[in-house]
Amino acid sequence: MIDPIKRELLKNALITTADNALVMITRTARTSNVKNSMDFSAAVCDGKGRVVAQGLAVPVHLGVVMPALAACLDWFGDDIQDGDVLASNDPYSGCSHLNDIFTFQPVFVDGQRVAFVSLILHHSDLGGRVPGGNSADSMEIFEEGLRIPPVKLVEQGRVDRDLMRMIEFNTRVPDRVMGDVRAQLAALGQAAAEVHRLAASWKPRVFVEYLDDLIDYAEILTRSSLEKLPDGEVEFEEWNDDDGVGHGPIRIHLKLTKRGSQILADFSQTDTDLGGAVHCNRAFTVSCTYAAIRTVLDDAIPNNAGLYRAIEVVTKPGTFVDVVFPAAVGSRGQVGFRLRSIVLGALAKLIPGRLPACAGGSEFAIAASGEDDAGRRFLHLEFHNNTGLGGGPTSDGQDAGPYCIGNLANVPVELIEAEYPIRIEEYGFLPDTGGAGQYRGALGLVRQYRFLSDNVQVQVRSDRFQSRPWGLFGGGPGVGAKAWLNPGALDAEALPSKFIRRFKRGDVLRAEMAGAGGYGDPAKRDPSAVQEDLRQGKVSQRHADEIYGAG
Amino acid sequence: MTQTSYRLGVDIGGTFTDVVLIATDGTIYSKKVLSTPRDYSQGIENGVSALLGELRIDAADIHEFVHATTVATNTIIERKGAKVGLLTTKGFRDVLEIARFRTPRLYDIDYKKLDPLVERSLRLEVDERIAADGSVLVPLAQADLEAAALVFAQAEVEAVAVTFINSYANAGHERLAAAFLAQRLPGVPVTASVDLLPQLGEYERTSTTVVNSYIRPVVERYVSSLKARLDKLGIRAPLMIMQSSGGISPGDVVARQPIDIIESGPAAGVLGGQRLGMHIGEGDMIVFDMGGTTAKATIIEDHAYALCPETEVGGGAALGTRMIRGAGYPVQVPTIDIAEVGAGGGSIAASDAAGGLRVGPRSAGAEPGPVAYGNGGTQPTVTDANLVLGYLNPNALVSGELTLDVDGARAAVAALGERIGLDPTQTAYGIHSIADAAMLRALRGVSSEKGRDPSQYTMLAIGGNGPVHACTLAEAAGMKRIVVPPVAGLFSALGMLFADVEHQLVGAFYRRLQDVDQALLETAAAPLRARGLDMLACEGFSDPAQQRLTLYADLRYMGQTAPLTIEVPKGERVMERLAEAFHGEHQNVFGYASPSEPVQFVALKLVCQGLPDQPRMPQRAQRGAEKSVARYSRQAYFGKAGWLETPVVARNALNEAAVEGPLIIEEYDTTIVVRPGWQANRDSWNNVILTCTAVSE
Repeated sequence: MIDPIKRELLKNALITTADNALVMITRTARTSNVKNSMDFSAAVCDGKGRVVAQGLAVPVHLGVVMPALAACLDWFGDDIQDGDVLASNDPYSGCSHLNDIFTFQPVFVDGQRVAFVSLILHHSDLGGRVPGGNSADSMEIFEEGLRIPPVKLVEQGRVDRDLMRMIEFNTRVPDRVMGDVRAQLAALGQAAAEVHRLAASWKPRVFVEYLDDLIDYAEILTRSSLEKLPDGEVEFEEWNDDDGVGHGPIRIHLKLTKRGSQILADFSQTDTDLGGAVHCNRAFTVSCTYAAIRTVLDDAIPNNAGLYRAIEVVTKPGTFVDVVFPAAVGSRGQVGFRLRSIVLGALAKLIPGRLPACAGGSEFAIAASGEDDAGRRFLHLEFHNNTGLGGGPTSDGQDAGPYCIGNLANVPVELIEAEYPIRIEEYGFLPDTGGAGQYRGALGLVRQYRFLSDNVQVQVRSDRFQSRPWGLFGGGPGVGAKAWLNPGALDAEALPSKFIRRFKRGDVLRAEMAGAGGYGDPAKRDPSAVQEDLRQGKVSQRHADEIYGAG
Repeated sequence: MTQTSYRLGVDIGGTFTDVVLIATDGTIYSKKVLSTPRDYSQGIENGVSALLGELRIDAADIHEFVHATTVATNTIIERKGAKVGLLTTKGFRDVLEIARFRTPRLYDIDYKKLDPLVERSLRLEVDERIAADGSVLVPLAQADLEAAALVFAQAEVEAVAVTFINSYANAGHERLAAAFLAQRLPGVPVTASVDLLPQLGEYERTSTTVVNSYIRPVVERYVSSLKARLDKLGIRAPLMIMQSSGGISPGDVVARQPIDIIESGPAAGVLGGQRLGMHIGEGDMIVFDMGGTTAKATIIEDHAYALCPETEVGGGAALGTRMIRGAGYPVQVPTIDIAEVGAGGGSIAASDAAGGLRVGPRSAGAEPGPVAYGNGGTQPTVTDANLVLGYLNPNALVSGELTLDVDGARAAVAALGERIGLDPTQTAYGIHSIADAAMLRALRGVSSEKGRDPSQYTMLAIGGNGPVHACTLAEAAGMKRIVVPPVAGLFSALGMLFADVEHQLVGAFYRRLQDVDQALLETAAAPLRARGLDMLACEGFSDPAQQRLTLYADLRYMGQTAPLTIEVPKGERVMERLAEAFHGEHQNVFGYASPSEPVQFVALKLVCQGLPDQPRMPQRAQRGAEKSVARYSRQAYFGKAGWLETPVVARNALNEAAVEGPLIIEEYDTTIVVRPGWQANRDSWNNVILTCTAVSE
């Protein structure tokens, strides 16, 4: 007999443990990136490897734990002892890209394996041909860095120094990465000790029973949440402009079927993969799907295997969203954003009046590296994935509104200028770029960079130049993205969405990021809303006249 | 009869205004009255005059008046601030609205951040540009200033903020522009961002300056109206206001810089706890403050609380966590580092579709409040559960002014229990325990951030509900010792009376450590020192013995985000010792140090304290006119120990000798629940000390 109060207390205790591990990581990790981007997650799994509780995490880690742990369990079978730490970063062993090192530690009580704790941390560099491993034009995983299959990084409490040295010799920033690996192991060990303490205060049989029940509990809540949504079958498709190595546009297709308390996301009609690193493996597609569906479910559902049971994801190996060995996956982040917007688009059709149009932004990422005039090497990374929210059923998409399943802070202009030979000349809204609609989409954003040293290598990964953020129910798409070299100058040149090239001293890169989609017929827009946009300079008089017939 | 003099502390909350009066001999009197949201100073007048009247104390004998207020926060939440104009560098008009792109709520597709405090049409650009090294790239365009002045004048803005890119490296343009606008817009306060926060980070600096401009006229009005009321009451003591950093400052000073008082009330409780800890020898404490809607946890380590460089205002406590921020407007002023969770007496308990029991984050708040208040609340809350469990006196809360509807509370809890298959007692106990679990997350969070376990701390339990939950929460956290101070339920109002006058001044100083020598450092600190001494002198601390100036440097490794604040050593080898101290602290906080990496100054900070000639802390504290509860007992439920007949006593029934739980200590402003397995005694300062003798569950 399950006592709902004991269950709630256990649930809280497990989440607290996972959160605590993350607090410890933030405290001890070397990379300040860890704090800023929170690109990590912690979870507690049962002895069979099913997620029972997950702490605060980057949304795309929802659901990545189980396939990676399953691959470790497959490899090691019965040979898993108290004090072992299993680790992997291999996308072809359930992980998602090489920078994310997954670690798992078993918890034994009275000789019985009752749980695993899991910790995933993004590491700044694990080798490969481009610093940071984010290049869009890699063709094989072997170009992207050190590939760690399921291994025991720690065996019965003893750290494997050979493996640690192997990692150390395969990163450009060994101090930082080894510091982070040690922080990860320490936090994992602490979480395992906490779960052990907790489990030891229960009878192992009862503890396992309650873990089982917590999974069932999440499943019941998920299904009950799904039952409240209308049944139906909808299709939604979108295009990625290109794959980073010259093919495109690439069609990503989703058929979403919702019947009763089950939902099926079928991506199998997506285009075949032709190369590059802008695509992802199945585990990542599944994660993005969970994250997007989660937004229409009860907020209090625990993030665990019970949630996943009600959501089935179908992909076809060899397609853009289920790549096969040895494809490179370093730039998968870009398609990850696309996948989330596709799932949200299908849900918006399934549940009219619930969800907004497509969020703005061109999934813009930049890596600029070189030497400053004092001869110091620099590497500057920035991600501007989104610009603002899509128009919704009852209100405009908020300009610069944060996107809940792609939570990433921008970098202060003054910090960049103080640290790197780069000047930011403009950062602001682009008027007239929000998708038209009864409720318009958020405006696009511009970020203009001037490079202040010689021979700066700039790598840009973005999209949405052709495939614009879509509107809904008569709303128009946001204005697409553009990029320019030296706009207005004699040598001005339009740049593609993805490139690696050298910039000269004084060269300017102007990145115009896409606006969000609009919602509903623009003719129905409240004239006072148009007037307000005019007053705030968010639309021009011409745009207002053309689109809304303002007057 | 000897002449006694008194000090008054007043803490304003959303529902109640707490007034605490302390006499020189340590006798404490208190009064709780309803807050008056239309004009909070009215509530203060009501409470103070009632208390003075009851005690027949002459207002002229009040020689100090300290106040904590939510007026700054309320102005933001209720959007009642000034119409602000913002002047920025060309190309950066939207920095304020773009903000940081952080959401505090993952998976919440409907979440929208707060709208900017200055609309786009009042954010104007001027052609000018300073480089990161302070050099002028583009001179200040006079024509743009003229145009901006016209727009601001036509729009009748009530305050202007000026924030230019890289002004922390060269304040020239900002100051020129601010002076020009001040001259063109007489009567409109114009603030240059560097004068408030001379630090790198354009969004944070802009937000801080705008928030200050937005709330300043309201706080100014509030301070002057409060001063008028104090005059009317005949109180001649200067009005002092509690700042978020734990120091107090004259009303006129904070009125000009109201961003300093955003976390006024919570800071008062922590400061009081820290001072009390100094007095009774408790150096490592977690201050646990549980009220009606939120619970707060703060670490005091080695007698010190930590300050964080930033707070957020207007976002609501239930939004955001320690790890994901972004719910409110960031304000970068030193603020006591307090973790807050949305769990309190008003948190609502409910069942879910899978037969689970949830507590919070929804709260019944003050209106309608718990079912037991009989104000129309229908959903059981934590307070209703505590009543059903026998922890709270069914006959009275707040000294008999509010009668509780026990039957209503029990019926609501029973109905919830039926839905999840539990009897009313189990359900009530479950609600109590689940509320503890939510608060435990905050407690564990703050101690883990220090790399420690809560069991290594003593708990200081305050707030109306803190002492009700203290024992169960301590058990869940492995804590063995609890201190419940006198007037625990309105301890913030008492605590602020222990604070010293303090000003935190910040100066821009963005340089590599290796490029700085002691002389340069002193030159940079000199203007701060002059300003600080001037402020202290104005407040009556002109004797050097009464002035304590402490210089700190914000340092970080190159490329890091968060700096550490390190005290600048005095004497020889200053730079070397400063660097050593930084590496050591980095090891301490982050678990590693890299002495080979370059270190960078981000800013200089000067803390200026005015030291009183008499100790702020009385030798002991006792409650004046304390009602002795007639000794009686009632049934209370303690989990595995079941229902026990539990003696109910007043604080003054306890002495140094330990009394075994179960025991309930009923007070005017809170109830202390001593569980079986705990014992209680009273120390010489009149604190109730709870000690765990065995873990009961």
